[in-house]
Amino acid sequence: MIPIRCISCGKVVSAYYDEYQKRSEDGENPKEILDDLGITRYCCRRMIIAHVEAW
Amino acid sequence: MVQVDLEVRGEEGSKMEIDIKKQTDNELIFIVDGVDVPFINAIRRICMMEIPKMAIEDVDIIRNDSTLFDEVLAHRLGLIPITSSTASESIIFASECDCGGHCPKCSASFILKEKGPKVVYSKDLKPEDPDIKPVYDTVPILRLKKNEEVELAAIAQLGIGLEHAKWEPTTACAYKYYPKITVDDNCDSCGMCAEECPRGVLELKKDKIIVVDAENCSMCGTCMRICPTGAIDVGGEEGKFIFRIETDGSLSPQEILTKACEVLSEKTDRIIEFC
Repeated sequence: MIPIRCISCGKVVSAYYDEYQKRSEDGENPKEILDDLGITRYCCRRMIIAHVEAW
Repeated sequence: MVQVDLEVRGEEGSKMEIDIKKQTDNELIFIVDGVDVPFINAIRRICMMEIPKMAIEDVDIIRNDSTLFDEVLAHRLGLIPITSSTASESIIFASECDCGGHCPKCSASFILKEKGPKVVYSKDLKPEDPDIKPVYDTVPILRLKKNEEVELAAIAQLGIGLEHAKWEPTTACAYKYYPKITVDDNCDSCGMCAEECPRGVLELKKDKIIVVDAENCSMCGTCMRICPTGAIDVGGEEGKFIFRIETDGSLSPQEILTKACEVLSEKTDRIIEFC
Protein backbone atom coordinates (compact mmCIF):
# COMPACT_ATOMS: atom_id res chain seq x y z
CA MET A 1 0.00 0.00 0.00
CA ILE A 2 1.19 3.50 -0.75
CA PRO A 3 2.02 5.58 2.37
CA ILE A 4 -0.92 7.85 3.28
CA ARG A 5 1.17 11.02 3.31
CA CYS A 6 4.34 12.30 1.70
CA ILE A 7 7.16 11.29 4.03
CA SER A 8 8.85 14.71 3.78
CA CYS A 9 6.10 17.31 3.76
CA GLY A 10 2.94 15.49 4.87
CA LYS A 11 0.76 16.09 1.82
CA VAL A 12 -1.93 13.41 1.46
CA VAL A 13 -0.50 11.88 -1.74
CA SER A 14 -2.29 8.51 -1.39
CA ALA A 15 -5.61 10.21 -2.22
CA TYR A 16 -4.36 10.80 -5.77
CA TYR A 17 -2.61 7.48 -6.35
CA ASP A 18 -5.49 5.53 -7.91
CA GLU A 19 -6.22 8.32 -10.37
CA TYR A 20 -2.53 8.63 -11.23
CA GLN A 21 -2.23 4.91 -11.86
CA LYS A 22 -5.34 4.74 -14.00
CA ARG A 23 -4.29 7.70 -16.12
CA SER A 24 -0.70 6.53 -16.55
CA GLU A 25 -1.95 3.09 -17.65
CA ASP A 26 -4.03 4.89 -20.25
CA GLY A 27 -0.79 6.27 -21.65
CA GLU A 28 -0.79 9.82 -20.29
CA ASN A 29 2.56 11.49 -19.58
CA PRO A 30 3.36 11.11 -15.82
CA LYS A 31 4.62 14.70 -15.63
CA GLU A 32 1.36 16.07 -16.97
CA ILE A 33 -0.75 13.93 -14.62
CA LEU A 34 1.21 15.10 -11.56
CA ASP A 35 1.00 18.75 -12.63
CA ASP A 36 -2.73 18.36 -13.23
CA LEU A 37 -3.28 16.72 -9.83
CA GLY A 38 -1.48 19.61 -8.11
CA ILE A 39 1.42 17.51 -6.85
CA THR A 40 4.07 20.15 -7.42
CA ARG A 41 6.88 19.46 -4.94
CA TYR A 42 9.50 16.87 -5.81
CA CYS A 43 9.15 15.18 -2.41
CA CYS A 44 5.51 14.35 -3.18
CA ARG A 45 6.20 13.49 -6.82
CA ARG A 46 8.77 10.85 -5.88
CA MET A 47 6.27 9.25 -3.46
CA ILE A 48 3.96 8.49 -6.37
CA ILE A 49 6.48 7.83 -9.14
CA ALA A 50 8.66 5.53 -7.03
CA HIS A 51 5.85 3.50 -5.48
CA VAL A 52 5.40 -0.15 -6.48
CA GLU A 53 2.24 -1.92 -5.33
CA ALA A 54 3.77 -5.06 -3.81
CA TRP A 55 0.77 -7.21 -2.94
CA MET B 1 10.78 48.26 23.62
CA VAL B 2 8.17 50.56 22.10
CA GLN B 3 10.58 53.48 22.22
CA VAL B 4 13.24 51.58 20.31
CA ASP B 5 10.69 50.71 17.64
CA LEU B 6 9.70 54.32 17.22
CA GLU B 7 13.31 55.43 16.93
CA VAL B 8 14.23 52.85 14.34
CA ARG B 9 11.15 52.78 12.18
CA GLY B 10 9.37 56.04 12.83
CA GLU B 11 5.83 56.52 14.08
CA GLU B 12 4.31 54.13 11.58
CA GLY B 13 6.79 51.45 12.55
CA SER B 14 4.23 48.87 13.55
CA LYS B 15 2.00 49.20 10.49
CA MET B 16 1.48 45.86 8.82
CA GLU B 17 0.25 45.34 5.29
CA ILE B 18 -1.00 42.08 3.86
CA ASP B 19 -1.51 41.39 0.17
CA ILE B 20 -3.11 38.06 -0.76
CA LYS B 21 -1.54 36.54 -3.88
CA LYS B 22 -3.32 33.22 -4.18
CA GLN B 23 -6.23 31.72 -2.31
CA THR B 24 -7.72 28.27 -2.80
CA ASP B 25 -9.47 25.74 -0.52
CA ASN B 26 -6.21 24.46 0.92
CA GLU B 27 -3.58 26.98 -0.09
CA LEU B 28 -2.95 30.60 0.80
CA ILE B 29 -0.04 32.72 -0.44
CA PHE B 30 0.29 36.27 0.82
CA ILE B 31 2.87 39.02 1.07
CA VAL B 32 3.24 40.58 4.48
CA ASP B 33 5.08 43.86 4.92
CA GLY B 34 6.17 45.71 8.04
CA VAL B 35 6.91 42.81 10.38
CA ASP B 36 10.10 41.32 11.81
CA VAL B 37 11.48 37.77 11.66
CA PRO B 38 10.62 36.78 15.28
CA PHE B 39 6.98 37.71 14.73
CA ILE B 40 6.48 35.98 11.38
CA ASN B 41 8.40 32.93 12.57
CA ALA B 42 6.21 32.70 15.68
CA ILE B 43 3.14 32.72 13.42
CA ARG B 44 4.67 30.00 11.24
CA ARG B 45 5.53 27.78 14.19
CA ILE B 46 2.08 28.20 15.76
CA CYS B 47 0.38 27.41 12.42
CA MET B 48 2.28 24.14 12.27
CA MET B 49 2.37 23.07 15.89
CA GLU B 50 -0.36 24.61 18.03
CA ILE B 51 -3.61 24.66 16.06
CA PRO B 52 -6.04 22.00 17.36
CA LYS B 53 -7.52 19.58 14.85
CA MET B 54 -9.05 16.10 14.82
CA ALA B 55 -7.18 12.86 14.16
CA ILE B 56 -7.84 9.22 14.95
CA GLU B 57 -6.15 8.43 18.26
CA ASP B 58 -7.57 5.11 19.50
CA VAL B 59 -8.52 2.11 17.38
CA ASP B 60 -10.36 -0.94 18.71
CA ILE B 61 -9.63 -3.71 16.23
CA ILE B 62 -12.21 -6.46 16.44
CA ARG B 63 -11.10 -8.36 13.37
CA ASN B 64 -8.26 -7.84 10.92
CA ASP B 65 -7.58 -10.63 8.41
CA SER B 66 -5.54 -8.44 6.07
CA THR B 67 -1.77 -8.68 5.55
CA LEU B 68 -1.30 -5.36 7.38
CA PHE B 69 -0.40 -5.60 11.06
CA ASP B 70 -2.88 -4.06 13.49
CA GLU B 71 -0.45 -1.32 14.49
CA VAL B 72 0.29 -0.43 10.86
CA LEU B 73 -3.43 -0.25 10.19
CA ALA B 74 -3.96 1.99 13.23
CA HIS B 75 -1.08 4.22 12.12
CA ARG B 76 -2.54 4.59 8.64
CA LEU B 77 -5.91 5.51 10.12
CA GLY B 78 -4.27 8.15 12.31
CA LEU B 79 -2.73 9.91 9.31
CA ILE B 80 -6.02 10.30 7.42
CA PRO B 81 -7.03 13.98 7.67
CA ILE B 82 -10.44 14.55 9.24
CA THR B 83 -12.57 17.67 8.75
CA SER B 84 -12.12 19.79 11.87
CA SER B 85 -13.85 23.13 11.20
CA THR B 86 -16.87 22.35 13.37
CA ALA B 87 -15.03 19.90 15.63
CA SER B 88 -12.45 22.43 16.80
CA GLU B 89 -15.35 24.55 18.15
CA SER B 90 -17.64 21.84 19.52
CA ILE B 91 -15.18 19.26 20.83
CA ILE B 92 -12.86 19.73 23.80
CA PHE B 93 -9.45 18.22 24.49
CA ALA B 94 -9.59 14.73 26.06
CA SER B 95 -7.26 15.95 28.83
CA GLU B 96 -9.77 18.68 29.75
CA CYS B 97 -12.76 16.32 29.78
CA ASP B 98 -13.86 14.73 33.07
CA CYS B 99 -15.23 11.54 31.45
CA GLY B 100 -11.97 9.66 31.94
CA GLY B 101 -12.28 7.78 28.63
CA HIS B 102 -14.14 8.70 25.47
CA CYS B 103 -17.39 10.61 25.35
CA PRO B 104 -19.18 12.62 22.66
CA LYS B 105 -17.88 15.83 24.26
CA CYS B 106 -14.22 14.97 23.68
CA SER B 107 -14.23 12.51 20.76
CA ALA B 108 -15.84 11.41 17.50
CA SER B 109 -16.07 7.80 16.45
CA PHE B 110 -15.92 5.89 13.18
CA ILE B 111 -16.92 2.34 12.28
CA LEU B 112 -15.20 0.27 9.59
CA LYS B 113 -16.68 -3.09 8.59
CA GLU B 114 -15.76 -4.53 5.19
CA LYS B 115 -15.40 -7.92 3.56
CA GLY B 116 -13.02 -8.75 0.71
CA PRO B 117 -12.08 -9.01 -2.02
CA LYS B 118 -11.69 -5.23 -2.22
CA VAL B 119 -9.54 -2.23 -1.41
CA VAL B 120 -10.89 -0.40 1.62
CA TYR B 121 -10.89 3.38 1.14
CA SER B 122 -11.32 6.27 3.55
CA LYS B 123 -14.89 6.73 2.25
CA ASP B 124 -15.72 3.33 3.87
CA LEU B 125 -15.02 4.80 7.32
CA LYS B 126 -18.55 5.45 8.60
CA PRO B 127 -18.61 8.55 10.80
CA GLU B 128 -20.93 8.93 13.76
CA ASP B 129 -21.19 12.69 13.18
CA PRO B 130 -21.59 13.61 9.48
CA ASP B 131 -19.68 16.89 10.05
CA ILE B 132 -16.59 15.04 11.25
CA LYS B 133 -15.49 12.79 8.39
CA PRO B 134 -12.37 12.03 6.32
CA VAL B 135 -11.42 14.95 4.05
CA TYR B 136 -10.59 12.69 1.09
CA ASP B 137 -12.72 9.73 -0.05
CA THR B 138 -9.96 8.11 -2.06
CA VAL B 139 -7.25 7.30 0.51
CA PRO B 140 -6.56 3.54 0.29
CA ILE B 141 -6.37 2.08 3.81
CA LEU B 142 -5.89 -1.65 3.26
CA ARG B 143 -6.45 -4.42 0.75
CA LEU B 144 -8.59 -7.47 1.54
CA LYS B 145 -8.36 -10.76 -0.33
CA LYS B 146 -11.30 -13.10 -0.85
CA ASN B 147 -13.25 -13.78 2.39
CA GLU B 148 -10.90 -11.61 4.46
CA GLU B 149 -12.67 -9.25 6.81
CA VAL B 150 -11.90 -6.14 8.77
CA GLU B 151 -13.96 -4.76 11.62
CA LEU B 152 -12.91 -1.91 13.86
CA ALA B 153 -14.01 1.15 15.78
CA ALA B 154 -11.81 4.25 15.56
CA ILE B 155 -11.95 7.19 17.94
CA ALA B 156 -10.78 10.62 16.83
CA GLN B 157 -9.69 13.24 19.33
CA LEU B 158 -8.55 16.84 19.29
CA GLY B 159 -4.80 17.40 19.46
CA ILE B 160 -1.94 19.67 18.42
CA GLY B 161 1.11 19.11 16.24
CA LEU B 162 3.48 19.44 19.21
CA GLU B 163 2.25 16.04 20.39
CA HIS B 164 2.13 14.13 17.09
CA ALA B 165 2.53 15.04 13.41
CA LYS B 166 -0.93 13.64 12.61
CA TRP B 167 -2.37 16.71 14.38
CA GLU B 168 -0.45 19.16 12.18
CA PRO B 169 -2.99 20.96 10.03
CA THR B 170 -0.40 22.34 7.59
CA THR B 171 1.62 20.38 5.06
CA ALA B 172 3.76 23.19 3.67
CA CYS B 173 3.98 26.26 5.87
CA ALA B 174 6.91 28.56 5.15
CA TYR B 175 7.98 32.11 4.39
CA LYS B 176 10.84 33.68 2.49
CA TYR B 177 12.21 37.20 2.29
CA TYR B 178 10.72 39.27 -0.50
CA PRO B 179 13.56 39.24 -3.08
CA LYS B 180 15.26 42.53 -3.87
CA ILE B 181 17.28 42.49 -7.08
CA THR B 182 19.38 45.53 -7.96
CA VAL B 183 21.47 46.13 -11.09
CA ASP B 184 23.96 49.01 -10.81
CA ASP B 185 25.84 51.13 -13.39
CA ASN B 186 28.64 48.56 -13.81
CA CYS B 187 26.29 46.41 -15.92
CA ASP B 188 27.62 45.98 -19.45
CA SER B 189 24.41 44.31 -20.73
CA CYS B 190 26.09 41.01 -21.59
CA GLY B 191 22.87 39.15 -20.67
CA MET B 192 24.65 36.26 -18.97
CA CYS B 193 22.58 36.59 -15.79
CA ALA B 194 19.29 36.36 -17.71
CA GLU B 195 20.58 33.29 -19.52
CA GLU B 196 21.77 31.53 -16.34
CA CYS B 197 18.80 32.28 -14.06
CA PRO B 198 17.05 28.92 -13.52
CA ARG B 199 13.69 30.56 -12.80
CA GLY B 200 13.46 33.14 -15.59
CA VAL B 201 13.45 36.09 -13.19
CA LEU B 202 15.66 38.30 -15.37
CA GLU B 203 15.36 39.37 -18.99
CA LEU B 204 17.55 41.37 -21.36
CA LYS B 205 15.40 43.98 -23.06
CA LYS B 206 16.85 46.81 -25.18
CA ASP B 207 20.35 46.34 -23.72
CA LYS B 208 19.03 46.53 -20.18
CA ILE B 209 18.51 43.87 -17.55
CA ILE B 210 14.93 43.91 -16.34
CA VAL B 211 13.51 42.04 -13.37
CA VAL B 212 10.35 40.42 -14.75
CA ASP B 213 9.28 38.10 -11.91
CA ALA B 214 10.99 39.02 -8.63
CA GLU B 215 8.60 36.95 -6.47
CA ASN B 216 9.69 33.76 -8.24
CA CYS B 217 13.36 34.36 -7.32
CA SER B 218 14.75 31.71 -4.97
CA MET B 219 17.83 33.85 -4.14
CA CYS B 220 20.17 31.13 -5.38
CA GLY B 221 22.76 33.76 -6.39
CA THR B 222 23.60 32.21 -9.78
CA CYS B 223 23.28 35.62 -11.48
CA MET B 224 25.68 37.18 -8.96
CA ARG B 225 28.28 34.47 -9.52
CA ILE B 226 28.09 34.58 -13.32
CA CYS B 227 28.17 38.38 -13.67
CA PRO B 228 31.68 39.40 -14.94
CA THR B 229 31.39 42.97 -13.61
CA GLY B 230 29.66 42.23 -10.30
CA ALA B 231 26.84 44.60 -11.17
CA ILE B 232 23.91 42.52 -9.93
CA ASP B 233 22.97 42.04 -6.31
CA VAL B 234 20.28 39.77 -4.88
CA GLY B 235 19.07 40.17 -1.32
CA GLY B 236 15.95 40.20 0.80
CA GLU B 237 13.82 43.20 1.62
CA GLU B 238 13.90 43.86 5.34
CA GLY B 239 10.54 43.27 6.99
CA LYS B 240 8.78 41.96 3.88
CA PHE B 241 7.98 38.29 3.43
CA ILE B 242 6.17 35.93 1.08
CA PHE B 243 4.24 33.53 3.28
CA ARG B 244 2.69 30.29 2.10
CA ILE B 245 0.31 27.99 3.97
CA GLU B 246 -0.81 24.70 2.48
CA THR B 247 -3.13 22.53 4.55
CA ASP B 248 -4.10 18.86 4.52
CA GLY B 249 -7.74 19.91 4.11
CA SER B 250 -8.83 19.45 7.72
CA LEU B 251 -8.93 23.22 8.26
CA SER B 252 -8.81 26.07 5.75
CA PRO B 253 -5.60 28.15 5.68
CA GLN B 254 -7.57 31.25 6.72
CA GLU B 255 -8.88 29.45 9.81
CA ILE B 256 -5.36 28.32 10.68
CA LEU B 257 -3.93 31.81 10.30
CA THR B 258 -6.63 33.53 12.37
CA LYS B 259 -6.34 30.88 15.09
CA ALA B 260 -2.55 31.25 15.07
CA CYS B 261 -2.97 35.00 15.70
CA GLU B 262 -5.34 34.24 18.61
CA VAL B 263 -2.86 31.76 20.10
CA LEU B 264 -0.01 34.25 19.77
CA SER B 265 -1.95 37.05 21.45
CA GLU B 266 -2.97 34.68 24.28
CA LYS B 267 0.70 33.83 24.77
CA THR B 268 1.77 37.47 24.85
CA ASP B 269 -1.06 38.26 27.29
CA ARG B 270 0.28 35.55 29.58
CA ILE B 271 3.76 37.09 29.47
CA ILE B 272 2.37 40.55 30.22
CA GLU B 273 0.36 39.16 33.16
CA PHE B 274 3.43 37.34 34.46
CA CYS B 275 5.56 40.46 34.33
